[in-house]
Amino acid sequence: MEPEDKEEARFIARLASRDERAFNELVVLYQERVFRILLRMLGRRDEAEDMAQEVFVQVFKAVGTFRGDSKLSTWIYRIAVNLCKNRVKYLKRRRTEAQDEYEAMAERSPMTSGSGVTSGDIHRPDQMVEGMQLERVVQLCIVELDPDFREVLILRDVEDLSYEELCEVTGLPDGTVKSRLHRARAMLKQAVERRMGEKAK
Amino acid sequence: MTEADENDELAADLRSALKGGTTEDAPPDVLAGFQKKLRERSGGKFYEDGWSTSRHPPINTYLITSLMMLAILGLIYALLAPLSGEPVPVENAPQPVQIISPAAP
Repeated sequence: MEPEDKEEARFIARLASRDERAFNELVVLYQERVFRILLRMLGRRDEAEDMAQEVFVQVFKAVGTFRGDSKLSTWIYRIAVNLCKNRVKYLKRRRTEAQDEYEAMAERSPMTSGSGVTSGDIHRPDQMVEGMQLERVVQLCIVELDPDFREVLILRDVEDLSYEELCEVTGLPDGTVKSRLHRARAMLKQAVERRMGEKAK
Repeated sequence: MTEADENDELAADLRSALKGGTTEDAPPDVLAGFQKKLRERSGGKFYEDGWSTSRHPPINTYLITSLMMLAILGLIYALLAPLSGEPVPVENAPQPVQIISPAAP
């Protein structure tokens, strides 16, 4: 066993014994990545924040059943993605406008992103504006994708997970993951082009 | 350009478009909310007090608090002890007690 694996095994043992300090470390370690995935998946900051807490509560409850077949991080992402998909279904049933917050956020972002930036910091203001617009459009288009396609796209292209990790998180075979990713990219490209009003770069 | 190259380029563009993130992407403090939820759902079994919810080992908090209390007590003693001075002499000496024997019948 590699030293890194040994360390992870010791950490998991601490988690399994419900060591509160170990859980504090775990949350601090993974909160940023988990939150980012959830925000991209749900498109709403308040939902993502609440769901991130819920993910770690589920980890706390289920850590005793973790057998170490996959990496701890992959297992946590799987819990996050599953909870997220359930939440998306629930929100859909409730006819909640899942994009409202994100669109409002996108509208606000030019002002908030620019706070504290002086004119001397901006070398090419036109490029900066273009970059922000593209980012907003891409974020909106991701939220519009079907959750099954959204998850593979976010995990692979945004969070940079390997195909192996992707299969473990989604529980799908390699071929399905690749074809789903291919279709997700095509759909996103189409949506971005449509929104930008011209062929995306 | 092959399909694989095109896909890689698209993925790179996507990462590039989202790499900065907006200020709204900054993660919240998930830890406090997680501890609160767990404390409530476990009926106070986990994260039951303010000490154990600290990110730092509680032993430090206990130790520092104990030492601070001792230091404060020492300071108070050092300040008040000189003020107390010598005991004030009692001016009114107690009267001697006279024992009156009962009169003979």
